[in-house]
Amino acid sequence: MKRFGWLAVAVVSMGLLSGCGSTPKGGVDGDGSADGKGVGRLGGSSANLDDPSRRGAGAGGYRYDVNVEPEHRIYFEYNSALVNDRSAQVLAHNAGWILAHAPKKSVTIEGHCDERGTREFNLALGQQRADAVVRFLVSQGMDGSRLKAVSYGKEKPLVPSHDDSAWSKNRRAEIVLR
Amino acid sequence: MAPKLRKNSVGLGGWWRLWLSLLLGVVGLAASSAWAGGVRIDISKGGLTPLPIAVPAFVNLGAGGQVAAGGTMGSQVAEVVAADLERSGLLRPISRSAFLQMPDSLWKSGPQYRDWRVIGAEALVSGAARTEGDQVVVDFFLYDVFQGSLIGKGKRFTASQRNWRHVAHRVADEIYTRLTGETGYFTSRIAFVSQKGNTKRLATMDQDGANLVELTHGEHLVLTPRYSPDGDSLFYLSYATGAPRIFRLDLLGGTNTQQGDYGGLNSAPSWSPDGKRMAFTSSMDGNPRIYVKDVGGGQPTPLTDSASIDTSPSWSPDGRQIVFNSDRAGSPQLYVMDSSGGEPRRITFEGNYNAAPAWSPRGDLIAFVHGGSGRFRIAVISPEGKNMRVLTDSWMDESPTWSPNGRVILFSRQNGSRSQLYSIDLTGYNERLVPVGGGAEGSDPSWSPLIR
Repeated sequence: MKRFGWLAVAVVSMGLLSGCGSTPKGGVDGDGSADGKGVGRLGGSSANLDDPSRRGAGAGGYRYDVNVEPEHRIYFEYNSALVNDRSAQVLAHNAGWILAHAPKKSVTIEGHCDERGTREFNLALGQQRADAVVRFLVSQGMDGSRLKAVSYGKEKPLVPSHDDSAWSKNRRAEIVLR
Repeated sequence: MAPKLRKNSVGLGGWWRLWLSLLLGVVGLAASSAWAGGVRIDISKGGLTPLPIAVPAFVNLGAGGQVAAGGTMGSQVAEVVAADLERSGLLRPISRSAFLQMPDSLWKSGPQYRDWRVIGAEALVSGAARTEGDQVVVDFFLYDVFQGSLIGKGKRFTASQRNWRHVAHRVADEIYTRLTGETGYFTSRIAFVSQKGNTKRLATMDQDGANLVELTHGEHLVLTPRYSPDGDSLFYLSYATGAPRIFRLDLLGGTNTQQGDYGGLNSAPSWSPDGKRMAFTSSMDGNPRIYVKDVGGGQPTPLTDSASIDTSPSWSPDGRQIVFNSDRAGSPQLYVMDSSGGEPRRITFEGNYNAAPAWSPRGDLIAFVHGGSGRFRIAVISPEGKNMRVLTDSWMDESPTWSPNGRVILFSRQNGSRSQLYSIDLTGYNERLVPVGGGAEGSDPSWSPLIR
């Protein structure tokens, strides 16, 4: 993403923060809401929480809207916790956005896995993914004490199907603001 | 009355065949594995010939010890006994409708062996139930039909009426032991994660699915319950604090205590066989590794130190060793180390995903999840890394746990999006769905020790 594009995104987002945002939720990369968590918006109103597609947002904190703010998910290869170049770019944008707009918020990094393999190995793998994201965000200037890595292993798939396409979406880390 | 004090004579008629068929089953399996390179088993599961056994309704006795009309306890007890024996796959209860001698006559006069031989029974059970206050008292005898003699002595079990199924399971354990030479496992419970919709709860039930109890309300994600060696408490994982933490739930008193709060992941709790220590996984030092700590408190000691994922520890029954899985060599594989730490020894080399080991209570086998070609199946291997055998054939089987006698493995299987509990004999035969009450899904099973 170009620098200018990024600034434009930030300006729009500030508008949302001031409470006038009512842009409908866009197509969020195939979110099947399988995990019971919809996509909330930073600063979005609590009235949206009754929307079934946003169930769980109260418990899970906010997800950004990728149409407006930086994409808040990155994806991993099978059995890997390696942050690739594309993901590094996404995370750098997130770090910049959070530092600019929500410097006081606590940030939880959720690590997730696809359903293949054992529950306990996936819990550990999800932790490694979340930890890798935390390390990267700290390298971008974020305060490590406000970052928390939590693994959900294979418990909360984004897409409930059982094929390569679903698995590639489920092997992920998500940035959640509280 | 039945011949209570007749001399104990172990017949060599019909039931020695069970021994023989068991032996043949194992040998036959080894042969077919060898054919297929030691990885695949013959999934046709022709299997053993179960021993035909007759389990007539137990008679109901009045206060004076006379056979009383009416009453259902005796019949219910016999049904539970027969169901236990049938599910083991080693015995085949004969349909009651085939019986020629009636239960009253059997109890009062002893077996008319001829009547049982002609219907093909090789073993026969005769029993009686009565109530004393709030207690249920069950007596039973086991006969070798071909020899025409008792197998062992008559035996009596007593419990509160509320626990009448427990008495039936005791009878089944006793019959199983007398006929197979192995300890039974019917007086045991299963802890597991019960799932309805997106809600997961900790639950326990008898090994046959009865007496289901839900232990958590479902407000927090819970995973991987583990029965303590005394059967009185569970370790489990809960997200109640917002991150995975290990808790101990006292099943008798209901006390719930968090077992430490270390940074990052806390997972994979495993009881030492003496119940005094817990091995577990934590990323407190940066990477998921195995630690051990006293159950009562104290500081965790790291047992492994690698830049990889080390998790799923399981103790050998003598407490001296721990098997776990690690991807230090690039893919998850099983390793065995001393329970005080030290250099781990890799024991799996086939397949690109070997994980979730469970050391058998007999000590001679380790059950685990064996992944390859996109399928995850239950397998067993010796602690030395020899004689791997794959027991199941599905695409996502996991969480193996052993029956208290080390004969049966319980595991969870994902069928499409639905998770269910299954059991299988260590020979790879007799795979059974284990029903979970209330239409719930089941996963993460942990088999209790014998509960007496």
